Amino acid sequence: MKRSLIRILTVIILFGLFLQACTPAATKAPESATKAPEVATKAPSSEVVNIAFWHAMSGHNGEVIEELVKRFNDSQSAIVVTPTYQGSYDDSINKLKAGLQSKDVPAIVQVYDIGTRLMIDLGVMTPMQSFIDKEKFDVSDIEPGVANYYSVDGKLWSMPFNTSNPVLYYNKTLFKEAGLDPEKAPRTWADVTEYSRALVKKDASGATTQYGCSFAIYGWFVEQFLAVQGSYYVNNENGRAALATEATFNGQEGVDLLTWWKALNDEGICVNLGRATSDTKKAFDSGVVAMTLDSTAGLRDRIDAAAGKFEVGVGFLPRSEEADYEKSGTIIGGASLWITNLRPQAEQDAAWEFVKFMSSAESQAYWHIQTGYYPINSAGYNEPDDVAWRAKYPQFQVAIDQLHMAPINNYTAGGLIGVFPEARQTVETAIEECFAGTSSPKDALDKGAKSVTQAIVDYNDNIGQ
Amino acid sequence: MMKFLHFKNPIVKVLLYLLLIAGAVVMIFPLYTGVLTSFLGPETISSYPPKLFPVEFRWQNYIDASRQAPLLRFILNSFIQSGGVMIMQLITASLAAFAFAFLPFKGKNIAFLVFLSTMMIPWESTIIPNYLFIQKIGWTDTYQGLISPFMATAFGTFLLRQFFMSIPKDLYDAAKMDGCSNVRFLTSILLPLARPALGTLAVYSFLQTYNQYLWPLLITNSTNMRTVQIGITMLQVFEREQWQIVMAGVVTIMIPTLFLFFAANRQLIRGLTAGAIKG
Repeated sequence: MKRSLIRILTVIILFGLFLQACTPAATKAPESATKAPEVATKAPSSEVVNIAFWHAMSGHNGEVIEELVKRFNDSQSAIVVTPTYQGSYDDSINKLKAGLQSKDVPAIVQVYDIGTRLMIDLGVMTPMQSFIDKEKFDVSDIEPGVANYYSVDGKLWSMPFNTSNPVLYYNKTLFKEAGLDPEKAPRTWADVTEYSRALVKKDASGATTQYGCSFAIYGWFVEQFLAVQGSYYVNNENGRAALATEATFNGQEGVDLLTWWKALNDEGICVNLGRATSDTKKAFDSGVVAMTLDSTAGLRDRIDAAAGKFEVGVGFLPRSEEADYEKSGTIIGGASLWITNLRPQAEQDAAWEFVKFMSSAESQAYWHIQTGYYPINSAGYNEPDDVAWRAKYPQFQVAIDQLHMAPINNYTAGGLIGVFPEARQTVETAIEECFAGTSSPKDALDKGAKSVTQAIVDYNDNIGQ
Repeated sequence: MMKFLHFKNPIVKVLLYLLLIAGAVVMIFPLYTGVLTSFLGPETISSYPPKLFPVEFRWQNYIDASRQAPLLRFILNSFIQSGGVMIMQLITASLAAFAFAFLPFKGKNIAFLVFLSTMMIPWESTIIPNYLFIQKIGWTDTYQGLISPFMATAFGTFLLRQFFMSIPKDLYDAAKMDGCSNVRFLTSILLPLARPALGTLAVYSFLQTYNQYLWPLLITNSTNMRTVQIGITMLQVFEREQWQIVMAGVVTIMIPTLFLFFAANRQLIRGLTAGAIKG
């Protein structure tokens, strides 16, 4: 028995040694990167530079990205970009983090809006501003409202790529049936309530067959509703003036929002379909719900799905009161392109060339027409294809107007924290608790804010300054 | 197998069948709507009330799905990965289980406990060290990188050991007496008897690997080496869901596993009856 114990212990110790031998070795071996870097480091002179581009665009949008990359590769012979789909935005951030230690990272990576603080704090990104300054690149065509989001401490950190906004979608045909003006979208919360009362329909047995509206319990909408009221999501002016240390979405603006939203559901004129916007969109497409909130990126799908059934109208994100339109505006959403500083300089320079191509008027117009995201380059609107596209889908003009009428300030710049995905989920839970009636709007938001504040503090202690 | 259903009282029998049919409907319904959805167009998919019977057969969805993600290539990759993992697990688990069940050695029980305790280490906690290791030896983007971390599992060993323990030790002793070697005993006597257990492990390990997402995503960098689950996410568009195309992709990757399941099912039953006759 004793001998066998010793034997087992030896095995365990040997195993431990083996593990120890493996882990630090990986950090010691930066030269053992993937195939792409080997090619790239060998090519400092006039040879072809190969760069990897990680993106999170799937389905049709993925095809459009591949097409844009192909156009870039065909347009010149010095750089070859290899695009790879790396899963969702969260997946590709995780993969990026896993590869940092061994420098197994691409030259360019597409990261979503709310990952901005995290990307800066990782310390492995070259700010886009340094390429812009070096080349004195003219950025006057880049939409200022969009650039505002991705600028931190006066530096543009990443180049915006796909950009969207939330808008109100409404069913013009149902509006007509209910005796409402189909050309007039509701502008305020009171309008939404009033219109919903007119739009709701019940059958003989008293069951509701048609609802006025349904808004998904989506943290992004809350951020937008706060911004348009001129309110900060986190302190220090949304974390833009200085590092955010506290969540502030539990102020009066947040409470008002939840009170209004809950009342819509409680009155039975609107319906709560949960967190997924895909569910509210389906309800809207089927004509069961007359109004819903969604990203501008879904405009074309809404129109396609409604073809032959009803006409789709688009309105601004409803404000708490008419005066809000003067005060503030919506935040942009979407994703941007980041250049990593772990790759050799030649690769980073090549990446910058590619970024310039992707943000050009022509590429952005093509991207806009194919996907429904805004062109981030305002010259993109002048491209003939884009003009024709907007003539076909005039609803998109509303989205463009909403983007352009948002003043550039720290409300519309959006919150800047490293724990945004977590914060969104916490807010969503708070709304659910409020809707279920287990807490008042104030209590639910206070509880959520407390937990998000804790997450921010922990993050700042660990990764931030 | 059917003996359970041979009740004398016809009313009991009818009730039992009704219950089974209800259960079957509950199980099959999601699958059915999935297949149905995969044939709908963007206008019909959102109709309300939802369609319960096919209204159209849009093969275009399947063409779109295979264009947006090279699904056939992904199925091939997944089959190589899952097949490799399955074969390796069958080999390592049966060898280890044989040792634990039949060979006398000191500290066998403690060794087995240590072995089992590795089941408590969550895969998520070892994924990064595994990734760094595979990356360091240059196996990213290769089949061996996809397969190697899963070649041996404590669960498989445990499963087979329990089954081997149920086989009389006398059989081993008798074989030994006739001069049969350990390897011969394992391959000619034990494994044929253990067919149901091996089949269970095979199906389990195959499906487990087939359903992997994070590991293939981490370890592969090119579209050509990706596996089916990543293929499905390639069809899911953020902010622009197209369920008919996602479902077409899901149905496509499900078909090969269904065939595997049917094939293994027959094998499992045959294994059980074979044992019963000889037993």
